[in-house]
Amino acid sequence: MPQVTGKKRKGILGAATLVFIIAGLYWGLIKAPPDAYQGDSQRIMYLHIPSILTAYLSFFLVFLGSCLYLWKREKRDDNLAHAAAEIGVLFTALTIIEGSIWGRPTWGVWWTWDARLTLTAILLLIFIGYLMLRALVEDESRAASSAAILGIIGFLDIPLIHMSVYWWRTLHQPPSILRPDKVPWENIHPELLTALAINFVAFVLLYFYLLSHRLRLSEMREEIKARRMN
Amino acid sequence: MTMAMWGYVILAYGIVWGAILLYAVALKRRYRAAEHELQRLSDAKEFQEHAKA
Repeated sequence: MPQVTGKKRKGILGAATLVFIIAGLYWGLIKAPPDAYQGDSQRIMYLHIPSILTAYLSFFLVFLGSCLYLWKREKRDDNLAHAAAEIGVLFTALTIIEGSIWGRPTWGVWWTWDARLTLTAILLLIFIGYLMLRALVEDESRAASSAAILGIIGFLDIPLIHMSVYWWRTLHQPPSILRPDKVPWENIHPELLTALAINFVAFVLLYFYLLSHRLRLSEMREEIKARRMN
Repeated sequence: MTMAMWGYVILAYGIVWGAILLYAVALKRRYRAAEHELQRLSDAKEFQEHAKA
């Protein structure tokens, strides 16, 4: 019975995700007007901001799962951190790729060693290292403990990424959404903000949809190991 | 100018949704493989119990 309820919940989440993805594509590519200065290339923003915010959310869950694992030593928390790290790496890599494609027409370069870009690349490398550590260390308990420490250290890069545009002179623009001095609707035109909000909801729903399946996969692997031991 | 901008937009959207789709397919395959392995272990256990009986 709980399995059926879980499947139903995942089905509803999957359907809601699909609806928001379609709505996000419509608003982002058709309904929202082009930016006055950047033209249509600004439409990449509807992918770029949701991807990085989803990656931040993911690495926050890695941080949470890692702290809980080091405190309570429960496999469930380690599984959460591992699953969240895997999906976080995907969204961070996509953020860098989108940013690079957006940077070419806007800044004239695919890549520059700007503080924010470099710190985001470091975030990606830390969590690729996290996944490699988990794959290479055979002793599971040791791998989980080491990965938890790396996961906590990796998460500390996020405040640096966020503040980098204030602390250093950078090419990257300051935050449009998460800024202390202005609310988002004072900063972005409502039509652009609506497109961004729909895409953000789509990415968050997609994230939780993927995470729920990735967590179930970890549970099944635990079950397989337990059955093989018996 | 505008068409060139659309080229960047299409490239970005194509890569993002393509990569997410690839990850979802890979995850589904790993999920299916685990389900099959669990089923195989259940069948093997059932077979052993019958053999004992």
